[in-house]
Amino acid sequence: MKLRNTWRNVFGEQQRFMLMLIAPAVTLLILFQAIPIFVGGSASFRDWMLYNPKKTWVGFSQYASVLTDPAFLQIVLPNTFVFMFSSVAISLVIGLALALALNRPFRGQKLVQTILLLPLMVAPVIAAIMVRWMFNDEFGIVNVVLEALGGEGQPWLVQRWSAFSVIVLTDVWLWTPWFTLLLLAGLQSLPKEPFEAAAIDGTTAWRVFRYLTLPMLRPVIIVCIVIRSIDAFRTFDTVWALTGGGPARETELLSIYAYENAFVFLDFAKGSAAAIIGALIILVVGLALYRILDHVRKMS
Amino acid sequence: MNTLQRRFFDFFAPGARRISFGLALSVVCFLFAFPVLWLILTSLRPQSGVYYVYRGLDFTLDSFAQVFANERLVQAFFNSSVIATAATIFSILVTVSSGYMLSRFRGPIASSWFGVIYALRCVPFVTWVLPLYFVEQRWGLYDSYLGLLLPHIAVHICFFSWLMKGFFDGIDPSMEQAALIDGCTRWGAFLRVAVPSAMPAISALAVLSWLFSWNEFLFALILTGQHTPVITVVMAQFVSEMGMQWNLMAATAVLALVPAFLLTLFGQKYVIRGLKI
Repeated sequence: MKLRNTWRNVFGEQQRFMLMLIAPAVTLLILFQAIPIFVGGSASFRDWMLYNPKKTWVGFSQYASVLTDPAFLQIVLPNTFVFMFSSVAISLVIGLALALALNRPFRGQKLVQTILLLPLMVAPVIAAIMVRWMFNDEFGIVNVVLEALGGEGQPWLVQRWSAFSVIVLTDVWLWTPWFTLLLLAGLQSLPKEPFEAAAIDGTTAWRVFRYLTLPMLRPVIIVCIVIRSIDAFRTFDTVWALTGGGPARETELLSIYAYENAFVFLDFAKGSAAAIIGALIILVVGLALYRILDHVRKMS
Repeated sequence: MNTLQRRFFDFFAPGARRISFGLALSVVCFLFAFPVLWLILTSLRPQSGVYYVYRGLDFTLDSFAQVFANERLVQAFFNSSVIATAATIFSILVTVSSGYMLSRFRGPIASSWFGVIYALRCVPFVTWVLPLYFVEQRWGLYDSYLGLLLPHIAVHICFFSWLMKGFFDGIDPSMEQAALIDGCTRWGAFLRVAVPSAMPAISALAVLSWLFSWNEFLFALILTGQHTPVITVVMAQFVSEMGMQWNLMAATAVLALVPAFLLTLFGQKYVIRGLKI
């Protein structure tokens, strides 16, 4: 009863309602995200091999071993950033073009839209398996077509950069529809009047796009970039099922690196340290992106 | 192209612009659909036909029969659909109220909740799913339905609260205020006025949530073992176990695509209508 009174005094009726609204969400986040992050953070300062969990405190030495690992510095970090940038940039450009094409009525528009949204429903794992089959060096359709055209079949997935390109291609295929979907929703909610005025003035399509559509769509575009960049940074499934990080760990991204250290090399502490480093990097990037987002919101 | 050029063009090549637009779009559609079509074609090939892609016209449904005969696969399909459906229902229950709170109220509680959501949304999945393996073992949730379901709900909270907030922002709060003046409680105004008007957003989120959980891989890889196989993990294991049986792989993948395809087909109009950020 006493507790209840304090609760009433500290929070007004409205505050209590607000807290009740978010209570289930808060509980779940604490149990399944906050506590694990705390446990992982604590593990990253310990000596915690899965076959020998001593759990003795070792300070920052796990972080030092990740940050001095040549594989981490020369392969994992560059891979992650190149992957994030190229995947987001390419799918944004294609996604925007497709959204513009779908934004006007034409015969068969519904069918085209359904086909273009197709990859949205495909699990990254399935997409990766599919692409792996298509790029198979002996029987894959890509090499068959290449050879039929007089080219030379490539062992796509056993060379670093071709494997990496195939991964980016798969990711672009998977996520372009996502951009198309959100940008199309954005386009359809734009006011009609400026476009009608431009049509009366006989403005060219390019100028309408450059001076009307693009500025008005900018907030949506930036939200898409922010969300997608953060997601691309943590990509796991596609790479795992496509190359497994190979050849010779050369296409590993940060998530794969952390997972491999923890569950393949059984060094849970080092894996946790890598995961925490990744979280810190993306928090800094995310904060910067959020600033930009806020800035653009205020301008428009 | 200015107006004069366009007239000139249309005079000598009537419909050329329309035809080139149509052609370009057809090529893009083909490229987008090709991987899936190829997968379907592979699934219909007999074991030996798979390797000679450009020869023979043998088709068979054997691979599908083999998939249905495999108990582990059938169980995986069942598990995936249970998890995806339950995760959808519960994550919507949890995020509608949270998004409503973010949209309708200002002040320290709302802004700190938004900050927490944004920060947790950024954190890579591995950062919390790796240690969740130990946390769940401690709580006895490892390799159980609940142990997979709850993280699936938790992962949606951040993004969906954000989307729901955006949607409620677009709904005029005056109806709820009117309900409050008429003697409705805050809960009544929320449940009877705001939630019904949010149905488009709720259906959009339901589609997205179901697809996400059906397609999810990392959580299941880390948090489940022998007892609760889900389809994505079983498929990824097959690549290494079955090695070269691409027709079986393809048949499993095609079966995994069917429910997602139906959902996308019927759900896309809700998603496009409901998603305004």
